[in-house]
Amino acid sequence: MALGRRLNRLLDRSLVLSTGPWLVVLAVVLGIRLSKGAPLADLYAQFSRPFWPGTAQSEWLQQASDLESQQRIALLEGELARLQDDRAQRQQSGPWITAPVISRRIEGWWQQLELGTGALAGIKPGAVVTGPGGVLGRVASVTPTTARVTLLTDPSSRVGVELQGNRGHGLLLGEGISRPRLKFLNNDVTVQPGDVVVTSKASSLFPANLIIGVVQSVDTQAGPAPEGLVQLSAPVESIDWVRVR
Amino acid sequence: MLRQPLNRVQALLLSAAVLLLLFMATPGWLRLDGMPPSWSVLWLLPWAVVEGPWSGLMAGLVLGLAVDGLHGDGLTTLPALVLLGLWWGQFRDARRPLERSTTLGLQALLGTLLLNGSLALQLFWRGEVMLLAWQFTAAQALLTALLAPMLCSLQLLFWRRVATRYGR
Repeated sequence: MALGRRLNRLLDRSLVLSTGPWLVVLAVVLGIRLSKGAPLADLYAQFSRPFWPGTAQSEWLQQASDLESQQRIALLEGELARLQDDRAQRQQSGPWITAPVISRRIEGWWQQLELGTGALAGIKPGAVVTGPGGVLGRVASVTPTTARVTLLTDPSSRVGVELQGNRGHGLLLGEGISRPRLKFLNNDVTVQPGDVVVTSKASSLFPANLIIGVVQSVDTQAGPAPEGLVQLSAPVESIDWVRVR
Repeated sequence: MLRQPLNRVQALLLSAAVLLLLFMATPGWLRLDGMPPSWSVLWLLPWAVVEGPWSGLMAGLVLGLAVDGLHGDGLTTLPALVLLGLWWGQFRDARRPLERSTTLGLQALLGTLLLNGSLALQLFWRGEVMLLAWQFTAAQALLTALLAPMLCSLQLLFWRRVATRYGR
């Protein structure tokens, strides 16, 4: 009886009418949800524009990129012939776009960055994001003026990697801490702390041979194949500008 | 305090803007172990307590959709926030005003634990690994519970003032 009265009160017509504004708000926010937060992220970008990081690191990043590309040329010269018919390599086209980091959520359940440059500048979902030092992650979604990056440390991140020099192939799994876990695919790999980890040529998500980090510790007893923890070479906590392609 | 008192829509818009800013960029000194307090809980608790279960549920739904939108696909905070809004709405008709007791802190603590628990459960179902989940859940729950008696009681009084002016 009491339940019936309660239900009656809940379905009262004036109550339903008075929820009209709520339904409008609900529709708006549903729109926001379906657009993956696009208006909110754009709004936030406008709010926070006065507080964006200064340009010094951006210029330094551009200078550093010249040096880095020279080193990369030297590194890749020997492998160039084989890489030329590589599908992933062919996808790696267009110029690098420099973008400021306007929000950093690298704690808790999500490991994300918000960039202050978006679709208007030519960033597409799935693009690779790198900082000084190496790969940070991939662009998950874009709005006209912002882009959301899922970092390599996010639990949903899975990236095909290999040790530099075309040795042991493996999978880099984010686990929510600053060092993702490297699981090798086969047993006969010789890996030592200090080995450099790069993106795999077999990966369809990333261009090949981008530097990710350094193997920090190895567990050879792990089954079925060895595992290791990787120290990323790009420091997420302190990077203010990133490059996207 | 303010020369021209805010009406309810203005107050809601203002608090939404503040919530968005806090959410995207919590200052470092407001973090414990790198974790920000659960701003959704700190906003939803006083709102639901003042406005009742129906509004609490709606606010939980709206807040959940907005938060999920900001985090992209994957984990969702929606069910936990809806439940919390509904539950906290029951306190509207409580005999003793909530802001006079330590209950606010306790409610915020339980709410944060429930919210984080629902996320942990989803991660478990998806088969993904989150090390240190216990550690930052505890940090966030503690921080939220510490801030709640201060922030929530102020908001409670504020929403109550705004509500009574419109003769609910």
